[in-house]
Amino acid sequence: MSKRRVLWIGSFYLIAIVISLLWLFPLFIAGTTAFKSMNEIVQNIYWWNLPDEFTFQYFAEAWNQGGMSRYFLNSFIITVPSVVGALFLSALGGFALAKYRFKYNKLILGIFIAGNMIPFQMMMFPVFEISNVLGLYDTYLAVILFHVSFQMGFCIFFLRNFIRTIPTDLLDAARVDGSSEFRIFLQIVLPLTKPALAALGILEFTWIWNDYLWGLVLLASDNLRPVTVGLVSLQGEYLSKWNIISAGSLIAAAVPLIVFLVFQRYFIQGLMMGASK
Amino acid sequence: MKKLSSSLIVSVLVISFVIGISLAGLAADKKKVVINSYMADPAPKETLKQLVNRFEEEHPDFDVTINTYPHEDYKTLIRTWLPSKKASPDIVTWFAGERANTFVDKGLMMPLDDIWGEGKSFEDYFPKAFKSISQFEGETYFLPQSWYWYGFWYRESVFDKLNLEEPVTWKQFLDVCEKLKENGYTPISIGSKFRWTAAAWFDYFDLRLNGADFHMKLMKGEVKYTNPKVKDVFEKWKVLLDRGYFLDDHTSYSWQEGAKFLFNKEAGMYLMGQFIQDVVSDEKVKKDLNFFRFPIIDASVPIAEETPTDGYMIPKNAPHPEAAKEFMHYLATQQSQWFFADNLNRIAANRNIEETNYGPLVQKGLRMINRSDKVTQFYDRDTKPAMADKAMDQIVKFMVNPGQIDQILQAMEAQRKKVFE
Repeated sequence: MSKRRVLWIGSFYLIAIVISLLWLFPLFIAGTTAFKSMNEIVQNIYWWNLPDEFTFQYFAEAWNQGGMSRYFLNSFIITVPSVVGALFLSALGGFALAKYRFKYNKLILGIFIAGNMIPFQMMMFPVFEISNVLGLYDTYLAVILFHVSFQMGFCIFFLRNFIRTIPTDLLDAARVDGSSEFRIFLQIVLPLTKPALAALGILEFTWIWNDYLWGLVLLASDNLRPVTVGLVSLQGEYLSKWNIISAGSLIAAAVPLIVFLVFQRYFIQGLMMGASK
Repeated sequence: MKKLSSSLIVSVLVISFVIGISLAGLAADKKKVVINSYMADPAPKETLKQLVNRFEEEHPDFDVTINTYPHEDYKTLIRTWLPSKKASPDIVTWFAGERANTFVDKGLMMPLDDIWGEGKSFEDYFPKAFKSISQFEGETYFLPQSWYWYGFWYRESVFDKLNLEEPVTWKQFLDVCEKLKENGYTPISIGSKFRWTAAAWFDYFDLRLNGADFHMKLMKGEVKYTNPKVKDVFEKWKVLLDRGYFLDDHTSYSWQEGAKFLFNKEAGMYLMGQFIQDVVSDEKVKKDLNFFRFPIIDASVPIAEETPTDGYMIPKNAPHPEAAKEFMHYLATQQSQWFFADNLNRIAANRNIEETNYGPLVQKGLRMINRSDKVTQFYDRDTKPAMADKAMDQIVKFMVNPGQIDQILQAMEAQRKKVFE
């Protein structure tokens, strides 16, 4: 190895390590805070110190008294159908936009992409009003429907580009054999799109799981809230139980992490797919 | 295998929906009351829950639900619930005075004149002084729950060690600051990351120099911020800043982090609400904490104190107003008010609770308020939110750049014109 190359690799690792440490720092603070008593948090100004004694008491408190067990279930009830629904509908839409030629094809795609550019927060009041008029306010369905529709913009864009790379000859061969269009979608397009769906699924799962705004705006009842909203409702005017909030956040953050670790094989595959073309 | 797992997911979802619906159905024949609450601080949250439990034990035909929201988000979200026929709760927790009046003005609240019981009225429950913060246009809209006082908190052991007395006058206060500084303490702690801690200082200087009547005129936008009397407020305050009595880098600490300096005996005094006691879990420190009144600067000005009051209101669109009113009646009773105040060391709004029931520090606070001529709520509770938001920025800016008083006053005046004219 030449000297220059060593220097190059060395500085790359150095910068990478510094950036990783910066990113991990908040996690480190949450990690130490989750083990400290309120007394220690309030009295000891040096929050980077390790806790006096390690106890899992606050994790238990977050789970039981903090109501995390209920919020956790709610997050699943909201996230899983939202991800499945958004992926399925977007795959259908992406397939149509990629493989059928019809008037305004590009325009419809453009609308989906443009919808992506509008910040969610701008739609807070209209969406709140719609959910009231439809009688969906304060139901799981309201949050699920809005997640599905808002995520479709990005998903259709992503999947359409992916499905375009599938050779049209494959589909034509199936047509010659007399297969219906829906069957072509189910049996040829969907299996071939699997890596992209898996990658997108991980992303969507993380985004929807971490959503705060819609859970806050569209749900009122405490027993319907997802984990993000539930945790924040432990923050008061003057006081917050930071140890319980930290412990709860760590539990909540573990789920997207597990999902990622399980599916990461597909994730990298799916992302590479576009690059090598 | 794949089919099995997907059908498993579907069935789990269906089952959880069915359970959710049937649970909702079970409670359907009871009288429902939904309370949206900003009491997210651990202690008040638990106390409200216990109050509800006691009520449900006495009235088994009631089903009372509390939905707790994070305090800051609550103030935004309440604007979406109140005008909505479908999303409105039956009872909301809210603040007395100007903030309550804002919603009453817009016709979003329901009058409470029929909750007091046979032949009784507001005055049978609450002191006369509470009328001005609960009644608007002749009708009661706000049910006061409890209030707390502000004062200079200090540690008795530190004052004893330096042979210091609780200062009463401005001069004595300056002497105490000087002595603390000489002995290596930061005389005054403050954490102004969230700006209201600095607003308390502004309020008190204005109350002590110009009196409560002038202060309330200023809050209502009837006096210009460029008035020389307002400048006096900042000039007096500047004396303390110039002498370096305040904690360094206070803008990077929350109020709670500022309190650590007091608890650790690094700082001498802290102008703060009674809820500072909620933060101390160390019994030794708790017993060592005491407070004194903000010193008198001009003896000819009637004494005024800040007493922020919290309570409840019923929105106009409440789906179950009758049941909500029954619960409101329960909240006003002596027993409920005492239960809440006693648990949290607050002072109950109900007038029938004897002073001797309270602990020694609360009694001291109560006596201090009883000997005052006027009470106010707090800067961001007495003036309009848009005004408070900009002005508190300026107040903190003043603490960092005390030399810029004139620019700061002009910025505040510009905002007053925009909001009130």
